[in-house]
Amino acid sequence: MAESPLNVLLKGNTGRNTRGLLRIIILGTIAAAAVSSRLFSVIRFESIIHEFDPWFNFRATKYLVQHGFYSFWDWFDDRTWHPLGRVTGGTLYPGLMVTSGVIYHILRFLTIPVDIRNICVLLAPGFSGLTALAMYFLTCEMSTSPSAGLLAAAFMGIVPGYISRSVAGSYDNEAIAIFLLVFTFFLWIKAVKNGSIMWGALTALFYGYMVSAWGGYVFITNLIPLHVFVLLCMGRYSSRIYISYTTWYALGTLASMQIPFVGFLPIRNSDHMSALGIFGLLQLVAFADFVRGFIPGKHFQRLLTTMIIVVFGAAFVGLVVLTVSGVIAPWSGRFYSLWDTGYAKIHIPIIASVSEHQPTAWPAFFFDLNFLIWLFPAGVYMCFRDLKDEHVFVIIYSVLASYFAGVMVRLMLTLTPIVCVAAALALSTILDTYVLASPGPNPKAKAVEDTSSEPLRSARKPDVGVTSYLSKLVVTSSAIIYLLLFVAHCTWVTSNAYSSPSVVLASRMPDGSQHIIDDYREAYYWLRQNTPHNAKVMSWWDYGYQIGGMADRPTLVDNNTWNNTHIATVGKAMSSREEVSYPILRQHDVDYVLVVFGGLLGYSGDDINKFLWMVRIAEGIWPDEVKERDFFTARGEYRVDDQATPTMRNSLMYKMSYYNYHTMFQGGQAVDRVRGAKLPAEGPQLSTLEEAFTSENWIIRIYKVKDLDNLNRDHSNAVAFDRGHKRKRATKKKGPRVLRTE
Amino acid sequence: MRPFSALTALCGLFLSTSSFVCADSTSSSSPVALPSDFKPAQVFKNTNLVRNTNLEKSYLRETINVVVENVAKQAQSDYYLALPSHLYDKVGVLEVRDKSAPEKSRLNVQATEIDPSRDLQYYIVHFSEPLPPSSQITLGISYSVLNSFSPRPAAIKQMDRQYLTYSFSAYAPSAYTTVTQKTKLKLPSTNVPEYTTTDLKSGADPERLGTSYTYGPYDTAQVAPGTSYPIVVRYEFTKPVITASLLERDLEVSHWGGNLATEERYWLRNNGSELLDHFSRVEWTLSSYQQLPSSSIRELKYPLKPGSVDPYFIDDIGNVSTSRYRPGKVPSRDASLELRPRFPIFGGWNYSFRVGWNNDLSTFLRRAVGSSDSYVLKVPFIEGPKASEGIQYEKVVVRVILPEGARNVRWEMLEKASSNGLPSSSQIQTDVSEHKTFMDTLGRTALSLTVNGLTDEARDSQIVVTYDYSLWDGLRKPVTITAGLFTVFVAAWAVGNLDVSIKKR
Repeated sequence: MAESPLNVLLKGNTGRNTRGLLRIIILGTIAAAAVSSRLFSVIRFESIIHEFDPWFNFRATKYLVQHGFYSFWDWFDDRTWHPLGRVTGGTLYPGLMVTSGVIYHILRFLTIPVDIRNICVLLAPGFSGLTALAMYFLTCEMSTSPSAGLLAAAFMGIVPGYISRSVAGSYDNEAIAIFLLVFTFFLWIKAVKNGSIMWGALTALFYGYMVSAWGGYVFITNLIPLHVFVLLCMGRYSSRIYISYTTWYALGTLASMQIPFVGFLPIRNSDHMSALGIFGLLQLVAFADFVRGFIPGKHFQRLLTTMIIVVFGAAFVGLVVLTVSGVIAPWSGRFYSLWDTGYAKIHIPIIASVSEHQPTAWPAFFFDLNFLIWLFPAGVYMCFRDLKDEHVFVIIYSVLASYFAGVMVRLMLTLTPIVCVAAALALSTILDTYVLASPGPNPKAKAVEDTSSEPLRSARKPDVGVTSYLSKLVVTSSAIIYLLLFVAHCTWVTSNAYSSPSVVLASRMPDGSQHIIDDYREAYYWLRQNTPHNAKVMSWWDYGYQIGGMADRPTLVDNNTWNNTHIATVGKAMSSREEVSYPILRQHDVDYVLVVFGGLLGYSGDDINKFLWMVRIAEGIWPDEVKERDFFTARGEYRVDDQATPTMRNSLMYKMSYYNYHTMFQGGQAVDRVRGAKLPAEGPQLSTLEEAFTSENWIIRIYKVKDLDNLNRDHSNAVAFDRGHKRKRATKKKGPRVLRTE
Repeated sequence: MRPFSALTALCGLFLSTSSFVCADSTSSSSPVALPSDFKPAQVFKNTNLVRNTNLEKSYLRETINVVVENVAKQAQSDYYLALPSHLYDKVGVLEVRDKSAPEKSRLNVQATEIDPSRDLQYYIVHFSEPLPPSSQITLGISYSVLNSFSPRPAAIKQMDRQYLTYSFSAYAPSAYTTVTQKTKLKLPSTNVPEYTTTDLKSGADPERLGTSYTYGPYDTAQVAPGTSYPIVVRYEFTKPVITASLLERDLEVSHWGGNLATEERYWLRNNGSELLDHFSRVEWTLSSYQQLPSSSIRELKYPLKPGSVDPYFIDDIGNVSTSRYRPGKVPSRDASLELRPRFPIFGGWNYSFRVGWNNDLSTFLRRAVGSSDSYVLKVPFIEGPKASEGIQYEKVVVRVILPEGARNVRWEMLEKASSNGLPSSSQIQTDVSEHKTFMDTLGRTALSLTVNGLTDEARDSQIVVTYDYSLWDGLRKPVTITAGLFTVFVAAWAVGNLDVSIKKR
């Protein structure tokens, strides 16, 4: 009964329209799923910017929206890196801020009063919907099967490896960069396939957008030349490649040089040299190809060999000379750490101290990609089977990204798209093989009636193997089960691992209701409301962006770690004795010092646990004054209790963390719940700082730097005098040590 | 309501198109300038003056009942009300009523420009009808003065008690000779470590009874007007001195949604004693565990109208998770919003935040009688938290955002028989502007009312706004959006049909 209208819908011209409509609906649903699975944190907490870097992006966006584009471009920010300041407009990737600014102004033009914060919070989920679409286009270029694109889009929409950087509120460059990455690759494949200037120019356009959005553009800058190079080596030179590559390189490089932060890097930095080299090589190959049409074969061989030797020799010598003379910058440190995972730990502790720069642990692959990770090699194998130009691209991308993802946790993000492509290719091949190999649900009974599928029926004569009903059932149902498990896993991971704003902590009350620990904002808001607008706040660099964004106060160092010495200065102030620290604090106009202390609550991400990195970074600059060894006991333990080393106990960080903490507990029962240590009954004494504010759960402690003493005494003397004055007899036995003056 | 709707109809006759505002009473204009050596003519005599000074709240509330006699030959209609210069610009809402005719509304009071060279500044009270010679009138003058107390000591320890001082003159400021007068002080507690004793009368002065201190009665017929005799009281006030330096209150009417959205933005400050040392979390934990009184703002209780839904409490950096909301029972019991600031607000500390909620519009809006296009909106002028120590507002901006296309806007403050700290219409600056939001084409009509110096006594006051709003105004937005979308589709279709290819056909 229902067959004839169904047939009308599914066959012929109407059928194509129906399928197109279905595809649009499916893609729309995938995009909706991608957006909504990223909203856990908004529903559980609120519309809030997450973590650290997004706070800076948010602050910059607010500046852009308030002051307009040109003053944003020229923005010199004197409220960070005090007293140096930061040429913010010239040292950031403006793509993200400009994107949200444009969206904001469009909405304002339509008089829809949306807060800029909500745009920033929801930008990443919105773009992840677009990424799913871009992924559909990219995969459709790889495969003739219509299901591959849809599968890849669905994978990309919910895979945790991408969600980790794009939940609502994680307003970071990656939020739009992954979309641009995937879309640029799609356009590149399109350009290579068609050999069209238009697609090449579009690739360059989106490449330029990508450059303006994320430092990871270097990946594209190297991957596309590598693709071309491999194609050349395979002897697949064609005018298509020449047209698309030269168009992309010329326009894309010009576009990328418009970003002040990038500037002349594309022609001066080693990271970009491969693109330039391939550009030159392509000219030579094209020339050779051109010459071959006029010269007989034997002469051509000889000419080619000499040309290759001469040109390569000249290019290599030129590169070395330019690098040595400093015209071309050598590889950056972050780049070296990609090749040698131990490099950063030895040479650049500041890079190594960031958790997302650590090498990836192997369970992370399964955690972030679930069953895609074992479909991935199968998909790559599929690409080898029909090795067209675009499949070569997938293979190169897979190899490179797999390596990088193994080196750095953060680069899991660049691996994810290609895993989705490859896995979708593999799965769609499996499904197509098993599902489409039969025309009807019951081939044996209906075979006679069905006349249209004559050749297939003959192929299906033996009722075993791929065409058997049982094997179809087993394969499709297990694929469905895997897909369902994948969805469940993604939801679980997103909900549990990637949806915490980290500014707000959630805990449970005894009755099961949610209790929110809001100490960060409590302290930041206190700073914002009750300190002078120009009060300088010193803290470890992790909190710099948050202080700038939430407390709106100048900071000494922040998450833009461009000045290692300045960070080391803060590290030194934190890890030295008060007499050493105080002059540093005075010299840097510090009014308040902020530390994070998790001892009362058992919050492990606190400053005492990060303290060794401060020591290491300070030691890198002042090896004579700060020594990591002094912070460990003779047995090599890092302790905070009464066994702690004198250096540890006299360090400013230790004192600020535990100052007055023992008074919360009765009779020397003070316990540090993070490190499980019983603290000395007598707490540390501070003489140059005074406690200004402590948040409800003691997570944030703010100290005010005392002004110089009115009677020109040493601070420790002044405190000793005050104390002695108050308790005349009691403290005679163990007065505070008289400390050396400067 | 009936005379008001008659007035509405009358106004509707004259004003048909443009947005227009008229306050109901004949409001007096800007402050009059007086010459610098101005002395009011001695045409009156204050036969008896009783001043009630209430110090129980964080602002000064004073009520003066004075019997005024006309000693001139002619009938007089202008009475000069004197206030010391240092109080004059801190006076909140001042109102004068004719006590002998309590059903009559408040008398018209005109402010004068401040002249710093004079000790006394004046208000001019216009009697409703001239006072004949040698007859008497009883005036009830009530006003509040903001920021009139100063904490002594100015800085205290976190767990210490807080003391405020209030200094005033034993002789009530007056432009005219006063025959007898007395001052009753009402203090918040019996802990009064210091107060001035005088020998202006025989016997103990002041007389103390519980928390009330009475200075006088004095016979001051021979004392020249304007003489002052300083008196200082210092008393315990271990409560916060809550001051809102600015309150912005938006009431947004939506006919389509049937919703009245309220949002209030506060800039709060505690004007009490500052902390001598810095804030100590240990002591704070201890004192809140023991429920000790504190001079800090720990919590604000905000009663909302029954049926209020979707409350929020946010500040510049997001939601404040420590608030709690107990929905009330419609129609009788108020809902309660308990706001706990992120940190306790000690003396000298600031805290700014915003709260908002929604109400069903039908309880506030009604069609005007006899006219289908005219509406009457009756909403609270200010609400604000309820605190026993009182809240003073230095500046309040109330904005009533009416639907797009609302015309002919008129408003009126609902008076009550007794004084409730309400400003008279003359003390409110009115402004009508356009407010563009949510895909408006014309912009919504926003009526904004600005008052300087208000106290939380005015919580119960109501404001009535009438405006015209036709069916077409309601349909404007859907029609505009439909037309806009249609244009986009047509444009997309037209662009799609363009042939821009460079291939040969």
